[in-house]
Amino acid sequence: MTTEQRKLAYELITNPPPGSDIAAAKEYGIDLTLLVENLNLTVAERLRKLYSVAKFLEKMQQSRIIR
Amino acid sequence: MTPNSEELLTLLNKAEVEYVVIGGVALVAQGSARATFDLDVCYKRSKENIDKLCRALEPIHPRLRGAPDNLPFRFDTKTVVAGLNFTLATDLGDLDLLGEVAGLGAYDAVYNCSELRAVEKISCRVLSLDGLYRAKIAAGRDKDLEALKEIKGLKDLKERLGQE
Repeated sequence: MTTEQRKLAYELITNPPPGSDIAAAKEYGIDLTLLVENLNLTVAERLRKLYSVAKFLEKMQQSRIIR
Repeated sequence: MTPNSEELLTLLNKAEVEYVVIGGVALVAQGSARATFDLDVCYKRSKENIDKLCRALEPIHPRLRGAPDNLPFRFDTKTVVAGLNFTLATDLGDLDLLGEVAGLGAYDAVYNCSELRAVEKISCRVLSLDGLYRAKIAAGRDKDLEALKEIKGLKDLKERLGQE
């Protein structure tokens, strides 16, 4: 994303146009900042991120209560 | 940047930051099959803890997530004291810091609804299924209400299986 695109993206997620799908997604509870960060990555970077997050979530799923 | 939430938690532990893992990651720790990309934690709002938090995160360059690079932002004690919740991007991944959790309250209330869990080589406090249920009801957005069905199903399943 260019600097201008990032600026525009920030404006759009901060104040989504009323009635837009961006506004609907925000109201539903989607974290739009995560989408902007993902759009700023290359496809390869997104896949690396997905793989890394999946590895961590697997560890969390296998976690056990100590007390 | 390759996210590494385990390393992020290790940083917080080493700095003795008082926090509880909440949100989607806590839900996964409780058995949910959903995936989430950011790490949400509730932190204690004492001056001492905020100092520790800021020092711990400084090396991984916390910045406002989704904001343009030239937006002025300095993650320090003064900023955290003046605010409450922060959505951050760091060198180790996305991190949401919450001073309070709707439906539960501030850190002490969240702590009382948490359990200490071993996650491979580290340990951290994680919000309980009951705590997650109360938080999702209070948040009340469609996304949260949708998650409630899974939490209730998971709770019922764990009870019937005699699991903690």
